[in-house]
Amino acid sequence: MSTQRPRPAVVTGIGVIAPNGLRTDAYWKSVREGLGVLGRITREGCEHLPLKVAGQVEGFDASALIDERFLVQTDRFTHYAMAAAALALDDAGLGHEEGPEEPFDIGVVTAAGSGGGEFGQRELQKLWGQGSKFVGPYQSIAWFYAASTGQISIRHGFKGPCGVVASDEAGGLDAVAHAARAVRRGTGAVVVGAAEAPLAPYSMVCQLGYRELSTVDDPDRAYRPFTAKACGFVPAEGGAMLVVEDETRALDRGATVRATVAGHGATFTGASRWKESREGLAQAIRVALDEAGCAPEEIDVVFPDALGVPEADRAEALAITDVLGAHAKRVPVTAPKTGYGRAYCGAPVLDTAAAVLAMEHGLVPPTPHVYDIDCDLDVVMSRARPAELRTALVLSRGLMGSNAALVVRRGGGLAR
Amino acid sequence: MITTELTYGDLAALIKQSAGVTVAPEQLAGSPETPFSGLGVDSLGLLGIVGELENRHGVALPTDAERCKTPAEFVALVNNALAGV
Repeated sequence: MSTQRPRPAVVTGIGVIAPNGLRTDAYWKSVREGLGVLGRITREGCEHLPLKVAGQVEGFDASALIDERFLVQTDRFTHYAMAAAALALDDAGLGHEEGPEEPFDIGVVTAAGSGGGEFGQRELQKLWGQGSKFVGPYQSIAWFYAASTGQISIRHGFKGPCGVVASDEAGGLDAVAHAARAVRRGTGAVVVGAAEAPLAPYSMVCQLGYRELSTVDDPDRAYRPFTAKACGFVPAEGGAMLVVEDETRALDRGATVRATVAGHGATFTGASRWKESREGLAQAIRVALDEAGCAPEEIDVVFPDALGVPEADRAEALAITDVLGAHAKRVPVTAPKTGYGRAYCGAPVLDTAAAVLAMEHGLVPPTPHVYDIDCDLDVVMSRARPAELRTALVLSRGLMGSNAALVVRRGGGLAR
Repeated sequence: MITTELTYGDLAALIKQSAGVTVAPEQLAGSPETPFSGLGVDSLGLLGIVGELENRHGVALPTDAERCKTPAEFVALVNNALAGV
């Protein structure tokens, strides 16, 4: 408060629970190799539904990662978020069992697209099958969009500013921006991100109404954005949590600054109005670049939304070109999510994690399952491409019309 | 009537089932004045236990049941209510 110096918000921790990796290092290895892990949905009660292929989180031993009482009291989407948060806090060096020294200095922000559908279905079946007295009290909180934020704050004793962003899939990026703003206003650190669990019967039936959903049953052909074969998107579960922290606080405690949250922009152009999303996404990119003080030419890699719907892919390629100009043809573009699916609000946070990891490793990961590009972008295919990466642009759009762009810069070079 | 009495063993099982908290029956019996909050059982957890007992016995427990602070208080109140059936 004594100075006007801005407080840069930096990433000091990353935690990932994804279909292609439980833990950040496993996720990066799969992303780097372009591993495709989409497969047939095997969850109980889902076999007869027309949605056949998704990115399922496999081998997740919730009881090994989360206290038993949270397992009973929360839905799978919160299990993923809590596990990812614990990983991110450990990575940041903030994973203390006894709770933080200054509880009001750390907050929690998550984004959520659908809440706890599996838990909710179970309790609603008790309601109509047995009666209201058989509905468990934890139904009141477990299904709710805010559940993950609340449970993470309770589990770790964080009493700083907490919030939930419900702004569609792009909310994953809006949450990161919200966390960065909280840090700039004086909060020491915010645990932020999103994880989803949309692969349960009720949740899947809800998605069947999305015309953008791919119901192709071949995992290698179901999700191929930016190609003439694009036939929609494949959903996924899981997500990522980050620790976004005040740079000075991070450096003072000797933490590694992995990246800087440099700029963000968000717009709204209406549900499934993909042609209009061109203008909205372009404007979101302009705002994000402006906030970051970043020229279009400085963008070294783009992680697009890559919906896999021809009209939407075209709009996105045009939006990138509208803002980056001639640079749009040169900048490498990659959509690792084609290998593991779109985890709704978790998708752009996973992309942000991939962007940070790509910058750290000097590698643009490939876009699995995608070969013949049907647009004017340099989409990285087949294998990772070495490149000096200082600044990444992450894009996201939601099915309900939200568009968002996030600019992140590499960490190490910024440390004083 | 005799078979309906709630023991600390029953309560430990209910706590595990409804709130996900593991607590040994001996611990509940040995220090029944340790508050539920100290065991990690929150108000929703206790509400779930009350609901389960009501469903099991087919009776409504007094509203005070979900406001009990300790296992001792809860077991006494529940057994009184069940005995009165």
